[in-house]
Amino acid sequence: MASPRSVSPRPPGPISKTDKEESFWDKIGTLGRKKRIKEVQEVQAEGKYAIDSPGSPVAPVIPPEEYELEENEERSMIQRQAFEDSKFQELLHVLIEWINDELASQRIIVQDLSEDLYDGQVLQKLLEKLAGAKLDVPEVTQSEEGQRQKLAVVLAHFNQVLGRSESSKWSVESIHSKNLIAILHLLVALARHFRAPVRLPENVLVPVVVVQKSGGQLNHRIIQEKITYSYDDVGMRCERDAFDTLFDHAPDKLQVVKKSLVTFVNKQLNKINLEVTELETQFHDGVYLTLLMGLLEGFFVPLYCFHLTPKDFDQKVHNVAFAFELMEEVGIAKPKARPEDIVNQDLKSTLRVLYNLFSRYKNVM
Amino acid sequence: MLLRQKADLNFANEHGNTPLHYACFWGYNEIAEDLVHHGALVSIANKDGDTPLDKAKGNLAKALHDIAVEAGQDLKKITFKDQSWIGLKTRSRDATLSRHKGINIKDLQLREKVASTPSGDTYRGIWQKNEIIAKILAVRNCTSRISRDFNEEFPKLRIFSHPNILPVIGCCNSPPNLVVINQYMHWGSLYTVLHEGSGVVVDTALALRFALDVARGMSFLHSLERTIPEYHLNSRHVMIDEDLTARVNMADAKFSFQEKGRIYYPAWMSPEALQKKISDRNWESSDMWSFAILLWELATREVPFADQSAMEVGMKIALEGLRVTMKPGISAHLQKLIRICMNEDPGKRPTFDMVIPILEKMKR
Repeated sequence: MASPRSVSPRPPGPISKTDKEESFWDKIGTLGRKKRIKEVQEVQAEGKYAIDSPGSPVAPVIPPEEYELEENEERSMIQRQAFEDSKFQELLHVLIEWINDELASQRIIVQDLSEDLYDGQVLQKLLEKLAGAKLDVPEVTQSEEGQRQKLAVVLAHFNQVLGRSESSKWSVESIHSKNLIAILHLLVALARHFRAPVRLPENVLVPVVVVQKSGGQLNHRIIQEKITYSYDDVGMRCERDAFDTLFDHAPDKLQVVKKSLVTFVNKQLNKINLEVTELETQFHDGVYLTLLMGLLEGFFVPLYCFHLTPKDFDQKVHNVAFAFELMEEVGIAKPKARPEDIVNQDLKSTLRVLYNLFSRYKNVM
Repeated sequence: MLLRQKADLNFANEHGNTPLHYACFWGYNEIAEDLVHHGALVSIANKDGDTPLDKAKGNLAKALHDIAVEAGQDLKKITFKDQSWIGLKTRSRDATLSRHKGINIKDLQLREKVASTPSGDTYRGIWQKNEIIAKILAVRNCTSRISRDFNEEFPKLRIFSHPNILPVIGCCNSPPNLVVINQYMHWGSLYTVLHEGSGVVVDTALALRFALDVARGMSFLHSLERTIPEYHLNSRHVMIDEDLTARVNMADAKFSFQEKGRIYYPAWMSPEALQKKISDRNWESSDMWSFAILLWELATREVPFADQSAMEVGMKIALEGLRVTMKPGISAHLQKLIRICMNEDPGKRPTFDMVIPILEKMKR
């Protein structure tokens, strides 16, 4: 079977069981036993919380040097309302999920981007995982100076990998001072560079308050910081092929290609009373892709092998991965796309896969 | 005598002798009578043409004869069929498993390619002077794990103890080639005989005989309680022997790593088999549904849903209630039997043990 991506464990939902919700059966047992069961449950819940919760206490005391400014020094922070913006929340969520999925094998769980990433420890692991390199830095550093040094090494490596001028958007100082904006810029650049199998919300704007001390007075202004842009491809980066050219140079021809692919898939899918009108969205859950393989190759796919009505991202990824598996089994070259790209509705990846089928089966009736 | 745990009473060893031969020869009267009471045939001839009755002394022959007549046995001599090259290997189960577990791929002389199916390419050939059929399994990437699973699973297909089961003789496990070997069957599959005109005229009597043969084979298979490798009953997976005995072909069972998620002949499969894993349903009753379709096929000489692709058929059977329709040519008895065997509720379908007596009655 296709290997689903490793997924980090999610924290359990809040324990909401109150006394009133206790079922009839709980009451029937003897009082003593009931009490003991409750004790066990409490200890379990506490243990679970202790494991899942971050190691450091949540609200550290902020020393004065954290908020006292030098003359002409600038300090920026995100406006409080921004955290209520759904797009911004989604961005944070997607990034945290991505990091946790990548680092699931290391048993690292990130809960808060600014609190968990500033010391460079997680960033180091992330870089080692993504770039496949091993960094020569001490594993754990306690002192602040050590943390800074480590962060500097890690960031230097990042900038080298990314190789772009964007690096001005983050620095050792800004990240170590838990500046969320800088951390976000860095993570988005990473996700884009390594083509993380996630779909970032596009054009996220964050209002940032910049405070400057001039002449003993605090002045502030609000600027809109753009974290993400609109992306036309979230698919896997691979050798340039006809589709890249098509997208870049002949958008009019793209329509023709799309149209003939729609005709091709409908000729098959119509046999089982299905119809496709839009390639981007109707193939993303893998159901049509799986059915199409059966129609083209003359077999039936037992319904326990895939989710006929997938409910969440993981089920969709499973479906697409399964369809890919079928393609490989019947001797089609491994698709130049990741299952996640298809589920994320990346048009270019979807077209690549369908075109692959088209060129092999265009003569099948 | 405890051997009667589903052992085939009429099984002959390399001399052509059945248990009854020995019982008669050594004068174990009670045992012999017991055997005949349980269906041992008195008319099977051994290599020298002697039936158990010839071996029996004095009154025993007469007594056995009477019991046999009472039980309605056909007393015509059944001539010995030389299967010694298979028979030899069946004497001791454990010894055989180790003995022919791995057949060296170099010992096979493969001649012509007979068929090419999604499960692999099939060749005709010779192995130790015997005519064989060798199927080279289509495996995309033969990992050591697959090779190990193959080693574990194929011995379960070496079922020599029933006349209506065609066993896998042995296998070559030499990655990347996995080869499944069984005896060459002159007439090919039941599908060929029925639909591709091989010169055999299948009249009602012969069709019933095929049905009975398959039912007996399946009944035996179900008594073994094995699910892996998975055997899908359909006319392509039943072979016809030289003497027109139908035999359930174990070489067509699917290994756990084979054709995952692909069903090429859904027309014979029950709706629940298309929707649920074998572990989540009653596989015996799913086989019974397949048998009903096979009966329909034998009665009509048609391929079920021949005009539609596998995907269409599968979807419609599983979700839209597509079923075979009864044709006027099918006798009323058979129609009734088919309907019983493909009851929509798997729990209400009969077992093969229940179907066999019905078919025997229809045959008369």
